Amino acid sequence: MKYISTRLFRSLLTLIIVVTVVFLLMRMMPIEGYFGANFDKLDEAQKTVKLQNLGLLDPWYTQLKNFYTDLLKGNLGESITYRPKVAITKILGDKLITSLKLGMSSLVVSLVLGLGLGILMARFKGKFMDKLGTVYVVGANAVPAVIYYLLIQVFFTDIFNLPLLYDKSNPKSWILPILCLSLVNIAYYAMWIRRYMVDELNKDYVRLARAKGLTNKEIMSKHVMRNAFVPMAQYLPASILYTVSGSIYVESLFSIPGTGGLLVTAIQRQDNTLVQALVLLYSSIGIIGLMLGDILMAAFDPRIKLANEGGSR
Amino acid sequence: MAQKTIEEIMNSEVVLSIKDLVIKFNLRGQELTAIRGASLDLHKGESLAIVGESGSGKSVLNKSFMGLLDSNGRIESGSIMYNGQDLAKFKTEEDWIKIRGKEIAMVFQDPMTSLNPLKAIGKQVQESIELHQNLKGEEAKKLAVEILNDVGISEPERRYKQYPHEFSGGMRQRVVIATAVACNPNILICDEPTTALDVTIQAQILQLLKNLQDKYNLTIIYITHDLGVVANVADRIAVMYAGDIIEIGSSEEVFFDPKHPYTWALLSSLPQLGVKGEALYSIKGTPPNLFKEIKGDAFAPRNPHALKIDFVERPPYFEVTPTHKARTWLLDPRAPKVEPPPLVKKMQELYIEAGDKVE
Repeated sequence: MKYISTRLFRSLLTLIIVVTVVFLLMRMMPIEGYFGANFDKLDEAQKTVKLQNLGLLDPWYTQLKNFYTDLLKGNLGESITYRPKVAITKILGDKLITSLKLGMSSLVVSLVLGLGLGILMARFKGKFMDKLGTVYVVGANAVPAVIYYLLIQVFFTDIFNLPLLYDKSNPKSWILPILCLSLVNIAYYAMWIRRYMVDELNKDYVRLARAKGLTNKEIMSKHVMRNAFVPMAQYLPASILYTVSGSIYVESLFSIPGTGGLLVTAIQRQDNTLVQALVLLYSSIGIIGLMLGDILMAAFDPRIKLANEGGSR
Repeated sequence: MAQKTIEEIMNSEVVLSIKDLVIKFNLRGQELTAIRGASLDLHKGESLAIVGESGSGKSVLNKSFMGLLDSNGRIESGSIMYNGQDLAKFKTEEDWIKIRGKEIAMVFQDPMTSLNPLKAIGKQVQESIELHQNLKGEEAKKLAVEILNDVGISEPERRYKQYPHEFSGGMRQRVVIATAVACNPNILICDEPTTALDVTIQAQILQLLKNLQDKYNLTIIYITHDLGVVANVADRIAVMYAGDIIEIGSSEEVFFDPKHPYTWALLSSLPQLGVKGEALYSIKGTPPNLFKEIKGDAFAPRNPHALKIDFVERPPYFEVTPTHKARTWLLDPRAPKVEPPPLVKKMQELYIEAGDKVE
């Protein structure tokens, strides 16, 4: 528990530093961005009024103080340019849920299929199944994703008679985006679980288990699979949380109103409040994800003790 | 502890009988003959030590009793009779599952890696019990704790829940032995059980194995290249060279009246027999290439006493006593008389002196 509280404290510190730095960087950008296409049409006085209203003419420390006091009250502010005068929470709310829903479905699909494929590949190492899997893994990684996203969109909509674009109320339209999101991840999980299982299978304890009279199946299910999963457990929570950040390609291809690419847009449009909220969100996710990963790994592997850091492992 | 007499052992039933076993491996397109027609009878309740240098086929021979040969290895000919079944004919995993653990169990060399690091040690012992002794849950756990106690682990109740990394090397080897004993096997194969341990622990582990042998009525095969281990525990010794058993006899016969020149050479290389100031004896040359067919006696090229026939025809077993036989033409009545090397004679003299004093 002590470990977790110190870790949380440090995470909070990291978070504050990250957010503050981003906050200050945004203030150092040229002011043109706040006006977009209207920049040339407005005169100096109008511009000053607008900046004044946004509080951008206050000294930076006042702005920072205001930001943190609002944040403590749970107020993320309103969007400046992306959707002016709309609360950030309202903008993000729907988008996050959309991305999370698709992302989580894809993650479940990837884990089930990826781990399944990887386990099969490890069991039949060097045989046909393994080679077929390797072809898939190499293919999914080597071919640029956009190419097969397009192919999937073009051909699968025809063949399986599925909708071309995402429609919130039509679950059938979710299938293709989820498939696209999963393809690379399936390959990723299959590759790693296969590799970790093959590592485990070559260890001496497997030989002892075999000499004890366990069948291959029992050795796989009772010993190897769990041990091979430990190194993957560390990254799992982070992957789950990261699904909220969406995917630019897939979301624009199927016109999904998700968070994919939102941060890029927000920075381009110089929507300070939106950028700050997104940075806060993504950083927290990264930090919490890593922490949960460490805790999860410690739960699986008794050799890992979180309390005494800098130990033998 | 009462050592069994050699007569008692030879009169007890044969539990495992190997006849003319040939084991081949496919390696990089070539064929390697790892075991070249070895024969061996294992008697109930004995401790048999199989000694030989690295690559002589000790481990391969023993793995073949459990169907644990690597996938590129196969039994070419010969038989391994156990309980009326020929293990050499076994092909599928279902066949072997009936033998592994239940009938023949094995203790491996390196205790540091032989246990699953993520499983409590008690669970790993319990797994053997649940597999082979028809006990489940609490009952199996009780027996596991009892066996942990038997292998000399103090506070077994508490240590049942601990993980391998919380144990020292010697303690882990005790746990490994416990997992093997928990299968309740007839035959226990110990593949270099003390090699990875430090000297003070070695003696304890050997003593433990002896005690367990009495308590659980085990027949034990020790695989080792350490003749010191052999002297302590073995009733009989089989000496292997290039995939064949070239001499077998009671411990005393092999140690003090060896007949095969290879056994002479092996004993002469014992550091304990070295004379201070003189270089230790070492066997000249290298073991034969097992990719090629071996003609005559495999040891002949390294044997200073080799006869012409050693290069032409493989020697049969010559019986020295009913319990002692060796594959060397030197035992043929027509062979010239060859004296064993001085170091071996020195051992003989020491032995005879000791015997005189006892009488």
